[in-house]
Amino acid sequence: MINLGRDSFRPHLPATALVVGAAALLGASIALLLQPTVLTQYVASPRMLALTHAFTLLFVTLVYAGTLQQLPAVMFVTKLMWPRLGYASLSTLAIGALVLVIGFGTGMRPVLLVLGGTMVCLALGAVLLQLLLTARTRPPKDPASRALITAVCYLVVTVVLGLVLAAVRARPGLAAALGYRPELHQMTGLLGAFLLGIGGSGQKLLSMFALSKGGPSWRLKAMAYLVHVCVAALVVGVVAGAGASGAAGVLAWVSLGALVAASALQVWEVVALLRRRLRKRLEDSVMRYVIGHAFLPVAGVLLLVGQREAATTAFLLGFVGLAVSGMLIKILSFLTWTAAYAAPRSVQPRPAAPQGGATGASPGPSSPPLLRQLLRPELEPLTTWTLGGGAGLATLTMALSSDLTAVASVSAVAAAIALTIGAASQLAQTLHIVYRVSTAK
Amino acid sequence: MTETVITELNPVVPAADVLEVLGGVYDPELGIDIVNLGMVYAITVAGSAVSLEMTLTTPGCPLHSTIEAHVTQALLGLRGVQEVDVQLVWDPPWTPLSMSDVAKRSLGF
Repeated sequence: MINLGRDSFRPHLPATALVVGAAALLGASIALLLQPTVLTQYVASPRMLALTHAFTLLFVTLVYAGTLQQLPAVMFVTKLMWPRLGYASLSTLAIGALVLVIGFGTGMRPVLLVLGGTMVCLALGAVLLQLLLTARTRPPKDPASRALITAVCYLVVTVVLGLVLAAVRARPGLAAALGYRPELHQMTGLLGAFLLGIGGSGQKLLSMFALSKGGPSWRLKAMAYLVHVCVAALVVGVVAGAGASGAAGVLAWVSLGALVAASALQVWEVVALLRRRLRKRLEDSVMRYVIGHAFLPVAGVLLLVGQREAATTAFLLGFVGLAVSGMLIKILSFLTWTAAYAAPRSVQPRPAAPQGGATGASPGPSSPPLLRQLLRPELEPLTTWTLGGGAGLATLTMALSSDLTAVASVSAVAAAIALTIGAASQLAQTLHIVYRVSTAK
Repeated sequence: MTETVITELNPVVPAADVLEVLGGVYDPELGIDIVNLGMVYAITVAGSAVSLEMTLTTPGCPLHSTIEAHVTQALLGLRGVQEVDVQLVWDPPWTPLSMSDVAKRSLGF
């Protein structure tokens, strides 16, 4: 029998990371609301980069890294190694990401970018080390677990490449030697870290939450290979210095084709999981994860018609945002429930009378609540539709910003309002879950 | 549905009572008790000791230790039971077909 052991499981740590991540999303949304026109301006402006990194690091990566304090034990069926390392890695990640965001927001200050980037690199390096040590105790064979490990490797590569970009920006000598290649940083992050990470962990979690067992695993394996092909094509293009030659065009198309195919496989995998599911009605937070996948074909089409910024927005805010938000609520309810009810209360002898009986009825009044009873149900659809609507409007804004500036300005304001409401609703839900459980102790 | 193998050796409580009490232990994610989920494979009541073979929906289930503790707590609550041994087993693995018709209906199966 495998004993996961409560000694290696500290639910407070990942739960805190998830709540801080939700608060960071609200902070970023409010910053966007204060200046929504940033969506219609140059995408590499300091303010836009600050917002992008607040979303990707303080929300997505912090939630992801927090989840990795629990998920490997579930996926690899083993104990998490060095559980105390999480305190150092998650706090360093949060502070480093904040420094980085401030560095971008205050006009790309090199000192802050390098300092924040270094902290984030060290933090994610520690997360990766912990993951690899855990995997070594029981090497995972399934493609979902392998995709998760690969995704964290890509996450580390992404922040290292980001740090290189910051160094290149600070030192002209380096720029001359290395060039300035933000696309590598972007693609390793978007595809390698986020698509593969959501694909790997999502396959396991969606299977659990939807009771969808069995089925082929070739799609996830193929998706991982396609991600490698996409990144490799970009690397070859950069290293070989293909420039404007014909090879550059071929490599760009290989990379683009692999990206679109990998995204299509992820959608196919989720649809296949849902078709096999036995739990017909999915919970709202799981539905949010599923709905996020509707943005993948949107991003693919936008990319194929040359709307790169709009495609990136649909991918990041729509797909990644909704998927992470949905799983955040599910995982937080698991974590807080376990923290509150894992240790049984004092045992009182009682007659053999069941509370709910073997009838499938609901638990008795003295039983711990069900996970769904920890939530405020009205907040979940609100979060889904406002975050989804905000992502859609932000995508529309990016697509229209060069031609229909008046329409884009209006949709930028609407996007900022919707995203702020969605992020506030999500944060309210996370605080409610924590409060509900803490008062039940 | 899973057929629970029951063995009784001078039991202080009937195994049927044990099964009934286990019907009050719920999977907090699915909202269905572990008996209707078909997770209880075998119950042995030997004097005041109850041993149980059961499974979970998936190996590495994050609620692993919690459900195990709740089962132990519920059984120790039975008058006369002094000792409880819960063994989690993964063979045969749990499948949705292990569930009772009541559980299947409640999940829309």
